[in-house]
Amino acid sequence: MLNPAKTMTPVQDDFEPKIVAFLCKWCSSAGSDLAGVSRLQYPPNAVPIQVMCSGSVSPLYIMSAFKKGADGVLVSGCHPGDCHYMKGNYFARRRLFLVQKLLNFVGLEKDRFRMSWVSAAEGAKFAEVVGDFVRDIKALGPQRRLKVRR
Amino acid sequence: MVSIEELRACAAKLLDEGKVKAVIGYRRGSAGLLAEPCVIDQPADTESLIWDPGCVHNLALYLVKDKKAQAASKTPDKRPLAVVAKGCDSRAVAVLLQENFFKREDVVVIGVSCEGTGVVDARKLAAKLKGRTASQVEFDGADGFKVTIGNTESRVPASEILADRCLECRAPSPVLNDVLFGTAVEQRELAMPFTAVKAAEAASEEERWASWEHHFDRCLRCFACRSVCPMCYCPECVVDSTSFVITAETSAEDKANRVRWCERSAGSGESALYHLTRAMHLAGRCVDCGECERVCPVNIPLRLLNTKLEMEAFEMFEYQAGRDVSQASLLSSFRDEDPNSFVR
Repeated sequence: MLNPAKTMTPVQDDFEPKIVAFLCKWCSSAGSDLAGVSRLQYPPNAVPIQVMCSGSVSPLYIMSAFKKGADGVLVSGCHPGDCHYMKGNYFARRRLFLVQKLLNFVGLEKDRFRMSWVSAAEGAKFAEVVGDFVRDIKALGPQRRLKVRR
Repeated sequence: MVSIEELRACAAKLLDEGKVKAVIGYRRGSAGLLAEPCVIDQPADTESLIWDPGCVHNLALYLVKDKKAQAASKTPDKRPLAVVAKGCDSRAVAVLLQENFFKREDVVVIGVSCEGTGVVDARKLAAKLKGRTASQVEFDGADGFKVTIGNTESRVPASEILADRCLECRAPSPVLNDVLFGTAVEQRELAMPFTAVKAAEAASEEERWASWEHHFDRCLRCFACRSVCPMCYCPECVVDSTSFVITAETSAEDKANRVRWCERSAGSGESALYHLTRAMHLAGRCVDCGECERVCPVNIPLRLLNTKLEMEAFEMFEYQAGRDVSQASLLSSFRDEDPNSFVR
């Protein structure tokens, strides 16, 4: 059987990656808001999904996003020590470290999953994180490995 | 050496004194060299208990099944159960205790030490025998097995037919036990731990994906790996929802709006989601009994996914599943010095 992932050319010139961004309500969402309010220019490829805490992001959300064709997944939360729930981001850090290792182990490119700490005051950092992420994923091309083929 | 007479006597004594309602152990099976799990509730029946390299099963699974049966029963029999446990099985019991699945007084662990060897891998043995069928495998010293084929017996070095998980085992004798048969072995040097994972990691990203895509594509989604795992005890699995009952009154909208993390179609993407989710759910809980890999009808190397996370947990967080009943579980604890450099 022909594998479409191997027969199609990986990089298209007009490729616009789809990025699912899980942003914690207390820091990163406010950070992305600040980026908007400050009129910072950054790529529009990230679809923000507000979650109550980065610690509430189940590995299933991430794998499900990849399964449904996301080119990249970003999880962003408060800096260590700043969590609204005291330690949610520490749990997230440990869990998502394992997710990242596991996804890479089965062969998903390392750059497809990213985690960042963005505080409510770091609008510029949010714009930079998304900008870098979009640039890296454009270099990789569309994600076809974990995406369900129909 | 484990003295099987003493083990039988111990089991009979437990049953005689009424300390346990039953003993879960191994007996000679009808399927060639592999033993079969059995539940013994009469002292006289303990004569059928055996201990040999064919005792591959993880009997902690039946403790879980008993607990579930108790929860479903109106008149549960709450007396404790005794279980014959190898090193890996006792780790599984330890993890279940750590998670408060049952209480320490609900289980009597009859530990058997694998000493220098472990259990056989039936596939390796079949490959070695080239078509002949072995009827029995016995322990023979610290580094070999006695394989019986028809009327002839031959000695095979343990390293050739030992299951991979036993080659990589770090704790061959049960850490958690009420009574221990055989000598407790701390360390042994058959192979370094995590050999298989490190070999798999050495391949490039493309090669790894090519092999995993091949494996996920072949997955039948028979869920044998889930059924055989003592840690997969959720009443409802996230990939296989059973609580959404479709009746004549269920509207199309309800059906369309229900949350489905994983579709039933057995494509490689759906199977990947299932296996990766399962691996994550077993992070810090998998005791590397290797049962998922053994029961897989299409030979998917499932152990690799679990041992990969086991290795990361050991190397980064110094965490070993089943080492200590009182330790905080891997994902419900953290330290300030956890890796942070991968976060932007």
